[in-house]
Amino acid sequence: MREKLSEIQAKCFDAVKNANSLTELYNDVKVKFLGKNGEMTAVLRGMKDVPNDKKAEIGKLVNDTRAAMEKAIEEKEIYLTKLEKKAKLESEISDITIPAKKADIGSLHPLSIIKNQILDIFTGLGFEVKEGPEIETDYYNFQALNIPKDHPARDMQDTFYFSENLLLRTHTSPCQARTMEKQRPPIRMVSPGKVYRSDDDATHSPMFQQIEGLVVDKNITMCDLKGVLDEFAKRFFNSDTKTRFRPSYFPFTEPSVEVDVSCSICGGKGCRVCKGTGWIEVLGAGIVNPAVLDNSGIDSNVYSGFAFGLGVDRLTMIKYGIPDMRLLFANDLRFLKQFRNVR
Amino acid sequence: MKVPYSWLKEFVDIDVSAEVLAEKLVNIGFEVEEFIDLSKRIKNVVAGRISEIKKHENADKLRVCKVDIGKKTLQIVTAATNVKIGDFVPLALHGAVLYTGQEIKSGELRGVLSEGMFCGGDELGLTENDMDGAGDEGVLILHDVTPGQDINEIIGNNDTVLDISVTANRPDCQSIIGIAREVAAVLDKPFKMPDLSFNTTTKKSNIGVEVIAKDLCPRYMAHEVDNVVIKKSPKIIRDRLRAVGIRPINNIVDITNYVLIEIGQPMHAFDKTLIEDNKIIVRRAKNNEKIVTLDGKCNNLDDTMLVIADAKKPSAVAGIMGGEYSGINDNTKTIIFESAKFARDNIRRTSRTLNLHSDSSARFEKGIDFQTQEIGMKRALNLICSTKSGDICENSTDVHESFDAERTVKVKQDKISAILGIDINTDFILKTLNGLGLNTELINGTFVVKIPGFREDIVNANDVAEEIMRFYGYDHIRSTLLKDAAQTYGAKNEHYKISDRIKNVLIGLGFYETVTYSFTSEKAFDSLLLKKNNKLRTAAKLINPLGEDWSVMRTTLTHSLLKAVEYNQKMSTESGKLFEISKVFLPKSTPLIEQPREVEKLAFTVWDKEYDFYNLKSTVEAILEQFNVEYDYITSNAEFLHPGRSADIILANGLNIGSFGQIHPDVYENYELNVQTFIAELDFEALIANAVPFKGYKNLPKFPSVARDFALVVDDNLKIGELITCIKKFSEAVKDVTLFDIYKGENIPQGKKSVAIKVVIQSDEKTLTDKDIQDFTNKLLNTLKSNFNAALRT
Repeated sequence: MREKLSEIQAKCFDAVKNANSLTELYNDVKVKFLGKNGEMTAVLRGMKDVPNDKKAEIGKLVNDTRAAMEKAIEEKEIYLTKLEKKAKLESEISDITIPAKKADIGSLHPLSIIKNQILDIFTGLGFEVKEGPEIETDYYNFQALNIPKDHPARDMQDTFYFSENLLLRTHTSPCQARTMEKQRPPIRMVSPGKVYRSDDDATHSPMFQQIEGLVVDKNITMCDLKGVLDEFAKRFFNSDTKTRFRPSYFPFTEPSVEVDVSCSICGGKGCRVCKGTGWIEVLGAGIVNPAVLDNSGIDSNVYSGFAFGLGVDRLTMIKYGIPDMRLLFANDLRFLKQFRNVR
Repeated sequence: MKVPYSWLKEFVDIDVSAEVLAEKLVNIGFEVEEFIDLSKRIKNVVAGRISEIKKHENADKLRVCKVDIGKKTLQIVTAATNVKIGDFVPLALHGAVLYTGQEIKSGELRGVLSEGMFCGGDELGLTENDMDGAGDEGVLILHDVTPGQDINEIIGNNDTVLDISVTANRPDCQSIIGIAREVAAVLDKPFKMPDLSFNTTTKKSNIGVEVIAKDLCPRYMAHEVDNVVIKKSPKIIRDRLRAVGIRPINNIVDITNYVLIEIGQPMHAFDKTLIEDNKIIVRRAKNNEKIVTLDGKCNNLDDTMLVIADAKKPSAVAGIMGGEYSGINDNTKTIIFESAKFARDNIRRTSRTLNLHSDSSARFEKGIDFQTQEIGMKRALNLICSTKSGDICENSTDVHESFDAERTVKVKQDKISAILGIDINTDFILKTLNGLGLNTELINGTFVVKIPGFREDIVNANDVAEEIMRFYGYDHIRSTLLKDAAQTYGAKNEHYKISDRIKNVLIGLGFYETVTYSFTSEKAFDSLLLKKNNKLRTAAKLINPLGEDWSVMRTTLTHSLLKAVEYNQKMSTESGKLFEISKVFLPKSTPLIEQPREVEKLAFTVWDKEYDFYNLKSTVEAILEQFNVEYDYITSNAEFLHPGRSADIILANGLNIGSFGQIHPDVYENYELNVQTFIAELDFEALIANAVPFKGYKNLPKFPSVARDFALVVDDNLKIGELITCIKKFSEAVKDVTLFDIYKGENIPQGKKSVAIKVVIQSDEKTLTDKDIQDFTNKLLNTLKSNFNAALRT
């Protein structure tokens, strides 16, 4: 019996050594030696023939042998598993240079990208977003903003009319009047939207987008206007951007200013974009004319405010170097796809 | 406003260059749009003296001249017949550029070298009115010049003109003296008024003025000049008028134009013999009254318009243009100068209604104060005197409403700082305002500012603050980030947030956002095959569109997107996905009498030969899912969609919120599309309004679900949606129903189809047993059998 066991063990160790795969190890070793019909099972069956006084000794020997075999198989199994995983990994190699199928992801229109950038800056500064109708009445587009009928300031904006009283808004400023009628100070709002003027060339489109800004509160000054626009310019362009005010005229603000920003392309040294001046005109602004506050029922002796109007299309063209405004409205996919990775 | 530098210098002693002046003007709110160096227009043309003329050997009509230009003598071949030895002529040298833009090079004419060309008046931009002989055929003969002298110097073309943009609040600066006042203030120099003195005869004019429409004509001045000599104006007047783009005509017309530019007062001169009964009447026109104006146009007037008339007929449309027969002509002997103030809004309206525009009406529209009429009249009479153009009658007629020579605006000292946010030295404020002609004193902490007539724009403290600030300089404004303001909550509104979300979903699904014009053409409705009574044809129409293609406001986004698809297909882009969220304009009726409903729509389109109706349906459902709405489909009757491959979406409350499908074959032709195209247009606002809010977390199922597949044989014309809906509603235990195959052909009888469906069932109370499942299956199959005659495929 003892010889028999050591013979089986030697055979088993040999088989373990020769097994080259997990399948072989299982079929040719595990099943053959330890299985239901395996050699060790046969040995166990032979235990009944062992004399009683030898049973304890032989029994221990059988168990030891079986344990040694199991251990050998297990060790080999771990080794072979590692080997097979390694072989599998080595066989599974993709050619990473083969072009992938293009994932079909679209994008926002550049005008929306810029609009979002601007709104994000102003909402961060405590401005609410308001909207108004595109077909406006003469009152909200002009009269409420201190531009009476047949006032020469109407020539500043070529207007599309539907009737004597109905028109396409020429600016987002009607939202100033609409907001002030409904809301008491403190007011801090921005109002984005489409506006219309009868112009059509490389730098003017009959439809474009503006963002109006309005702050009405106690003690609002020109310095606060400068502070807000400085903050906007730094966040929209870069932290080195400066703003410059030039006197101008809008009927609904007084004093009124044109606002230039230092050219972010050349850093103010002068380039093609800023036409060599180092400055780019980006918006009009001013202190809300007391007449406009009074028109809307806000006491101009108590409150003051400022307003500004940004051209989204112009800022888009400046920021992305788009030379012709008409590209923004052609909706050529080859154009739109260029903005896929822009936020 | 074109301002010749030399003219400006007459009223203020400018000691800086034009460039430096321009920068200073920008800083005080006057943008200099352009520097026009008049001498740049004509280049390399000099005076030459003809010293020899010979016949051309090879041409009878040509002559060969030797011309002395000071430093040297050139040979010129000419066809001109009016030149003789000793004449001084304008000679365009090699490389010259003429007024006409023509460039001159030396070359051979019939084998003889010509080193330039003689010029006629027209080639130098001159007419007979500008210079004697300039209107003649042939070469212009010059007088009192030296050989080699630049032609620009000779013809007064050597000024620099500043083209200054004047804002609408400063009509007073639509004049040389207005700009001069600003220049004087910014340079801290005195401003000199033009010479307004004149001598009169002792003769009294018998002309009478009656102003009936006082509301439209607050002031009317008339002054008679006798023994008028119609002649050419002095060179300085002609040169200056030409420099600002006005053609000299004769001394009288030139004086009216000169005063318009210099003083900013439009003047008119009537020939007195053409005024019946010596009476000028300022009245409203009668309805259908007619007048032929100087430009030859017959105008049909109405009673909102103002005319200058005599006892019988209108002789001018007030402030806009004189009548054809009232003007100054070569035989005019006696004139009446008019210097008036007309209501600017009335001039503006009349000018637009009649489509009649002039320098005078442009000036009146901007507004003229009460005092300028007198200054203008005096300056005109001064020029009559200085040019010896006639004898001025003793009396002036001046009909006007009462007016204040001066107003007072009081501004508390601290109000200036409250507006600007900075403190400005009181001395600077006083010096600035006084320098602008706004006489100001500080009395008990209040600035008392006297506003002269020409500054109608200054009415309140903000206006005064602006005057101070533009001279103090905006670079003094500091940045304070709303330091005294209340804290506010800032955010996008709900509409923007939803819109952003839906855009992001579409972008994830491969769509590109577009921005298209809100304008469209009524022809678009034909391209979309819309029926005559389709409500979408009721579109708001512009009175003054840019053209037919831009004449109405769109009622649908579909046309705009199909145009974008058409464009991209023409650019050979084989496939693509576009979307837009924009407003359409839906009037109740047209023409528009009230603001129409503005409804935001969501439209998306796909062109791709691999795409089909069900791909589009999947995108539609992905969007609808975002709003958590229940909906159903009905057959669409949208005219622009393929009738067999389109559907409308109906919300649970019955609201139709849009259509989608493949476009109609005729629409492909109308838009020149060659790749199959699909489109959906949904009422975005209705979707937002009907969105069902998230109701919160629901417990996860406690018991396992079971899936069973069924292959059902049904009639071929059965709508599969009905089958699926029936299964979904069959029991609470049904959690999901999905279609995974439709099969027709072998082993399936004619007129039938096999529909493979997966049904997921689950109980909320227990784990389903085999028997539960078998019972469920039997009952379901029985129901489907009786409802649809559906049999399990064997």
